[in-house]
Amino acid sequence: MKKLMNHFFIATLIMMTALSVQAQQKKGDVLIKNGTVLTITNGTLEATDVLVRNGKIDRIGKNLKTPKGVTEVDATGKFVMPGIIDAHSHIAGTSINEGTSQVTAEVTMKDVVNPYDVSIYRALAGGVTTINLMHGSANVIGGQNATLKLRWGLTNPEDLFFEGAPQTIKFALGENPTRGGRARGIQPQSRMGVEAMLRNSFNDALKYREAWDAYRADKNPKKVAPEYSLRMETLVRILEGDILVHCHSYRADEIYMLMKVFADFGIEKLTFQHANEAYKVAPELAEFGASASVFADWWAYKLEVYYSTAYNAAILTKNGVNTSINSDSGELIRHLFHEAAKTQKYGDLSDNEALALITLNPAKQLGIDNRVGSIEKGKDADIAIFDNHPLSIYAIPQMTFVDGVKYFDIENDEADQRLMVDPESTIENVQIFEADQQHRCMEGADVVNLFDLLNNK
Amino acid sequence: MFVLPVLVLSANANAQSDPTGESPATRTYAITNATIVQAPGKVLEEATIVISEGLITSVGKNVSVPAYAEIIDGTDMYVYAAFIDGMSYTGAKRPEQMERPNNLFTPDPPNDYAGITPEIQVIEQVEADESSIESLRKAGFAISHTVPYGRMLPGSGALLLLKEATHPDEIAFKNNVSMYTQFVGAPGAYPGNTLGIMAKFRNLYTNAEYSRNHALSYQKDPAGMARPARDRTLEAFYPVVAKEKPVFYNASTALTARRAMRLQRDLGFNLVLGNLQQGWELADEIKNTNTKVFMSLELPKEPKESKDKDKSDEVKQLEERRAEFYKKYLTQFADLKNAGITYGFSTIDIRGNDVKKNLQTLIENGLTEDDVLAALTTNAASILGIDKVAGTLEKGKLGNLIVTKGAYFDDDSQIKYSFVDGDKLEYDTKGKAKKGENNGTSTYSDIIGSWAYAFTTPQGEETGKMVFSLSEGILEGVMISDSGSPDNDMFNLSYLNNELSFDFNVDAGGQSLNIVVVGTVTGDEYEAEASIAAFDMSFPILATKEAPEQ
Repeated sequence: MKKLMNHFFIATLIMMTALSVQAQQKKGDVLIKNGTVLTITNGTLEATDVLVRNGKIDRIGKNLKTPKGVTEVDATGKFVMPGIIDAHSHIAGTSINEGTSQVTAEVTMKDVVNPYDVSIYRALAGGVTTINLMHGSANVIGGQNATLKLRWGLTNPEDLFFEGAPQTIKFALGENPTRGGRARGIQPQSRMGVEAMLRNSFNDALKYREAWDAYRADKNPKKVAPEYSLRMETLVRILEGDILVHCHSYRADEIYMLMKVFADFGIEKLTFQHANEAYKVAPELAEFGASASVFADWWAYKLEVYYSTAYNAAILTKNGVNTSINSDSGELIRHLFHEAAKTQKYGDLSDNEALALITLNPAKQLGIDNRVGSIEKGKDADIAIFDNHPLSIYAIPQMTFVDGVKYFDIENDEADQRLMVDPESTIENVQIFEADQQHRCMEGADVVNLFDLLNNK
Repeated sequence: MFVLPVLVLSANANAQSDPTGESPATRTYAITNATIVQAPGKVLEEATIVISEGLITSVGKNVSVPAYAEIIDGTDMYVYAAFIDGMSYTGAKRPEQMERPNNLFTPDPPNDYAGITPEIQVIEQVEADESSIESLRKAGFAISHTVPYGRMLPGSGALLLLKEATHPDEIAFKNNVSMYTQFVGAPGAYPGNTLGIMAKFRNLYTNAEYSRNHALSYQKDPAGMARPARDRTLEAFYPVVAKEKPVFYNASTALTARRAMRLQRDLGFNLVLGNLQQGWELADEIKNTNTKVFMSLELPKEPKESKDKDKSDEVKQLEERRAEFYKKYLTQFADLKNAGITYGFSTIDIRGNDVKKNLQTLIENGLTEDDVLAALTTNAASILGIDKVAGTLEKGKLGNLIVTKGAYFDDDSQIKYSFVDGDKLEYDTKGKAKKGENNGTSTYSDIIGSWAYAFTTPQGEETGKMVFSLSEGILEGVMISDSGSPDNDMFNLSYLNNELSFDFNVDAGGQSLNIVVVGTVTGDEYEAEASIAAFDMSFPILATKEAPEQ
């Protein structure tokens, strides 16, 4: 036994060394001087300094002394806000959907993070510091998501992981998963099928947990382990509250349906993504404690999203629903501050309420509000600096910091940001916009058709 | 399919007279007065090596040559241990494409459609007369680590002796040496892409651990215990779980290599990265995890700069960056070596003809000849666990060697003889086997011009033109589809010994798909196979040369 323990100890040691070697993330030290600091949690502080030590916000105050070895950034006349958080993104992933099965809780976006995606840099240039890299919406219970910090330039995918962030997972209701079901001739082909699939999956997970609990309690030396299933293990963790659910949804009836299903199974942590009709069930969402992550003013791109309103975010906010505005796009992610500003035209939200939609509120939805989402002592120094108030249409991001390290500076903005160049590529193929402009929610969900592939369709 | 054992003519079955008159009079050979490179950096001048009954029996300056030996005068000749390939399909024939089953339940397809067949042994796909065996042997190799065709988990690899034979068993040196795996999903079924493949691998591995424990307990004391279910897929994992058999990952990019290492760290198996092409960022991670590596011998083509005199600064800069990355692909070999990583070479993405040229490129970019030799021989042997019997020219080792006219790395050197398993093969000075079927090297004029092609997919027939032209002595080609879709330039275009091969990319909804075409030109006919590795899919292409316009 002692020998075994020794082996275990050595193995752990080796693993720890390996991990520490892999953790390449830098932590920065910087003093951002004399800016207008939009703290989100403590109002607006004029002519204020923010001191960052070892990647954390160390002090916020006036006329702070510059410690030795700390770089100064003059933010006079500029606006300093917490880094923007996008609760719904599909950039930086080499695959988006494992849409071949309607329940794929076992797959994780952490396995397909693509740190070479130049969209990361473009997002940084829009003041974004954290994204929720989501699985697509092709299936009812999709894959686990990856909460990432945009540490551009690091090429080990694990160096982008938001260390310590809770696990989240993608669910999807309505037309997307039923479209996949119909294309493949499998369940679900209707909204009824979606609900049945959810209930069946959770019931299977309960039975799975029961079988493993019984096995673990069994004292019989001849006991045999039940079949292991990574899919069921993940569903059990959802039931136990370890994994936060982010569900693609549009219609009020299906939003209400999912709250009933979750209430029946005792699952509490729930964010509705898109949720274009969430305003119709805002009080119900507030009562459940569910969050919503919505577009500012985008709808009518298919039947189930025919009804919506640009007042959605404001109505939800005024009803006490924790609400965020997301991009779901490699283009929108570059100006989420504009998207947040739209809630002032449609709904008269205050500056602070509007900015919270892209900072503190999505941080809460991802379970990372103890670390990011506001400028507070002790939080991670994920900071964006703008030349004008970020809710102004004239605002242009100037600098973006993650863990106190500057990853974007408009004064030092190299044109060619690629981290990997194909030596066999033709120069003509280099384009400013690539696939990231497209919405990737349903990418890979269609049945492969060789003829189409060969005809460039 | 298989030749009856009665018909098998083995070289050492010399009790019977040989009506063909082709079997050698002796299996004892002596190469005398040669420069013998026993191992990288260990050179014997004017020395002799004796090979008898498949083994090296003596090497040195004062070696007595048996009277019954066939003597080869090695004056001006160099003798090297034959090369060892780290991972390839050499000798394997791609099995027929499995048709999509009717009413396929895409979430849980049958294992063979899903590509989960780790229980398959590659020897089942090997054909003794596969042309790839001769092609790699002519490039100086005597052993290949051959892995099966397939998708996610195609099966076990084997070490093959690249000799002339009539039955696969004659060339099998060691079966079941590795579990081969790659990021290739099932078309339209689970696991469809890297997401599902990573999860499925974890699920299979963990179930195999439980299943193996159950089987072991049952073996010890079965009474009163539920019998273990027999599952050949999980059973194939048992030696992997026990760390008796390595997992060979076909991981060419830095991203796929890191994914393989991530799985390794989560699960704990012995990992070999096969076919690595982008290793320049990975030195620390490879070293710290003690991962074994075979670097791909496939190198990118040197980028050509635009000749346009008025090119913009932007184009210049883009060309510089492209050149910078081209350099990274080449100099990483020396960088990894200097970082203390020993690696071999894999030939899975390269044809025998290109081997020497690419090795010379590596030498121009910082590797020494001894480094290259070590990667080809001693390093490969030790990673594959056969260093006791192969990789150097020492008494008792397998009779696997090459004899070259001039030092191997010289531009104009030729492989004159190769010995595999102690059997001699002789090549004429042009480098082709005397018994070979190819007659003469081909010239580009055979193919320059326009060819009408056609291929059939399950959705119908596709037609178009392939146009080949010469640009400053370099062969170029383009595919022009009749359907009006954009033209596709050909890459990696090669035409030698009537073998014409190239690849091209098609855009499939934002994702670039690479299609590799390999085939033979006979007069005005081109008969080829096109394959899409991303789906492990292949289909025949036929083309006919068109008469030039009058």
